[in-house]
Amino acid sequence: MLESFALSIVDGPLNQWIQTTYWLWPVLEIIHFMGLSLLLGGLIVIDLRMAGHFKALNPAATHKLLPLVLIGFGINLVTGVLFFYGDPMRYAVNIGFQIKMVLVFFAGLNALLYYWKINPVMHTWDANTVSPPIAKFVAYASLLTWTGVLLCGRLIPYVGTG
Amino acid sequence: MFEWLESTSVAIWVAESLWGYPVMLSLHAVGLAVVVGIFSMRDMRLLGLFSGIQPAAFLPLSKLAWVGFIVNGVSGTALFTSQAVTFVNSTPFLLKISFIVAGMALAGVIQSRLRGELAGSGGDAVISGSTKLIALISLLFWIAAIIAGRLVAYI
Repeated sequence: MLESFALSIVDGPLNQWIQTTYWLWPVLEIIHFMGLSLLLGGLIVIDLRMAGHFKALNPAATHKLLPLVLIGFGINLVTGVLFFYGDPMRYAVNIGFQIKMVLVFFAGLNALLYYWKINPVMHTWDANTVSPPIAKFVAYASLLTWTGVLLCGRLIPYVGTG
Repeated sequence: MFEWLESTSVAIWVAESLWGYPVMLSLHAVGLAVVVGIFSMRDMRLLGLFSGIQPAAFLPLSKLAWVGFIVNGVSGTALFTSQAVTFVNSTPFLLKISFIVAGMALAGVIQSRLRGELAGSGGDAVISGSTKLIALISLLFWIAAIIAGRLVAYI
């Protein structure tokens, strides 16, 4: 599926533009690194507080960082799609990229669990509230999957092609 | 001296083993996210964003940023030894290291100013204009460090 999609966009206008604009790739990489810093940076604070660390932080206030996390994700979605369009055959068959996408999917499911189970109650937490097991699970699952996304992404140039 | 560094056993492991370089590079990316993630949020908070979060919260969070910094000091040193002569002659690399040193120095300045401005204010201090300016410069240094770091691979 991924390979046939890659075949359909190879040599298309966007693919050609990305490949022939020599300064574009490093610029996209720089923006992708800034995006991941926003995404991970915000999640570290939100998730660690959700898991019960840094009790001095007001739990509800940490959620003010969510827009920052979503901006980081949006930046990396756009730059990531452009990477794929720029070199589709390389990414489609790369095991690092494939595992990364699976992890992003699981991180998305975990985010849904957060909206469904934790977001409705977390604003009632105070400094003495003990984090329930489900909150700890969602928090650590988030940190682990996103760290995995980062590791797989960085390994793309070094791992085999399927 | 840099030729000697490249001949050490760590350098040879990073340069020649199958996993040495990629593993160090991956750890370096995680450390970057922790350091730049936390410090950039602290700087944005001091500049007036996310007003619900107490500035005092960044005092313990900065310790976590230091953990990320140590991860990157170790992984960065390992990466450096593998191509020490190349790196030490790379302008983007030297710029990157300068921005990081400056960013960490400003982190120390911000930390002590925050402690001062928070003392006796119940944790919701008004951030002084000069501290805001330092936070802005710090934010720009970390952005510059990422730009220069990525360009090491291209220039």
